[in-house]
Amino acid sequence: MRVEQIPAASFFSLLSEEGLRIRLGPFNVRISTNLRHLAEQLHFLYAHYELVEDEITEFHVKIVSKRSIPRPFSASVHFLVDDQEPFPPAPVNQALAILEWGINLAIALRTNHLLLFHSAAVERNGNVLLLPAWPGSGKTTLCTVLAHRGFRLFSDEFGLMDTECDELLPVPRLMSLKNQSIDVIKRYLPEASMGQAIPHTQKGTVAHVRPPQESIEQSAKTAKARWIIFPKWVADSPLRLERLPQSEAFLLLASNSFNYEILGEAAYKAVTRLVKTCHCYKLVYSDFDRVLTALNELTYGG
Amino acid sequence: MFWRSTDFTSLLIEEWEEEFIVFQPTSGKTHFLNKLGMQLLLELDKYHQSAYSEDQICQCLLDRFQLQSAPHFLEQVKKTLRRFEELGLVEQVKRDPVSAR
Repeated sequence: MRVEQIPAASFFSLLSEEGLRIRLGPFNVRISTNLRHLAEQLHFLYAHYELVEDEITEFHVKIVSKRSIPRPFSASVHFLVDDQEPFPPAPVNQALAILEWGINLAIALRTNHLLLFHSAAVERNGNVLLLPAWPGSGKTTLCTVLAHRGFRLFSDEFGLMDTECDELLPVPRLMSLKNQSIDVIKRYLPEASMGQAIPHTQKGTVAHVRPPQESIEQSAKTAKARWIIFPKWVADSPLRLERLPQSEAFLLLASNSFNYEILGEAAYKAVTRLVKTCHCYKLVYSDFDRVLTALNELTYGG
Repeated sequence: MFWRSTDFTSLLIEEWEEEFIVFQPTSGKTHFLNKLGMQLLLELDKYHQSAYSEDQICQCLLDRFQLQSAPHFLEQVKKTLRRFEELGLVEQVKRDPVSAR
């Protein structure tokens, strides 16, 4: 059963009572909230996610609204993961942004059975294209375009690698666009399903794009990486897709991992295998049409 | 001052385009070494547990790379040794290098 099959009226009851138990790639998450407007946003943006029936949920997250004594007329929202509150409270209208960041934080901090890269990842013809990058490089924006132009979305945020078999695991989550990227994507991908813009968050204005349905439906289908591309959006720049020396690719990839040092030797060996088996590039771009042409050529051509 | 490698055989080493990515299991750290740094470790490990003076190490490296002695080379080698010592890749020993062989 998927979220979209639950009537809107029952959906709020589910979230506010026993909690919504859904599958996000390899993670089962239970989400609870007493906020009706967050329930409405989730009913639309989480429409294609599958409900978890009898399996254990790895994370239990809650968004609760409270009024504080010093400011009784303005409620704030608190994010809780297994009853811990990792963030300061935020204004009520930011509930969705806080929930999404909170789930990402829980994945980043609690997943040590997989090697985690801070990376977008998409798949074509059974091969994964990893796009590791730090915030501000345009990774999510590019990933959103690719996910709507013939690539299957694995994640806009995490490259999850099983170091036992070198398979990458999809975790297709909402893609959180920021500031100018929101209008850029509205213009370039008018068909994208996007939530309302949320202004004045700690990262500026954010809006969430729903992953394509096929990406969510195929989220159990793993694949190995074949290309590693370190992208950077630079205004008005001509497209540059250049081979990266393997030693540099290794360093960039290892320093880009959330848990490389925790996994130690297993991570070193896994990154070594990745770099040896993948084609590694550095990408500078400013234009989606050109980047799509280049990546289509690369991924269809070999 | 004499130097020797600590546990060279435990290191995992990958060479790419004459650069070396080294995993050190004892610290869990990964190091990025150039050719000179790797050769320095190799020279120190050549006679296991033997110690080399800084001048001897310098001479070995000059011979290996077929270089003329340059004024700053010894300083560069000393600096690399100290950095490697901080990383636990080499250690200082109080030992006569000749009698140690």
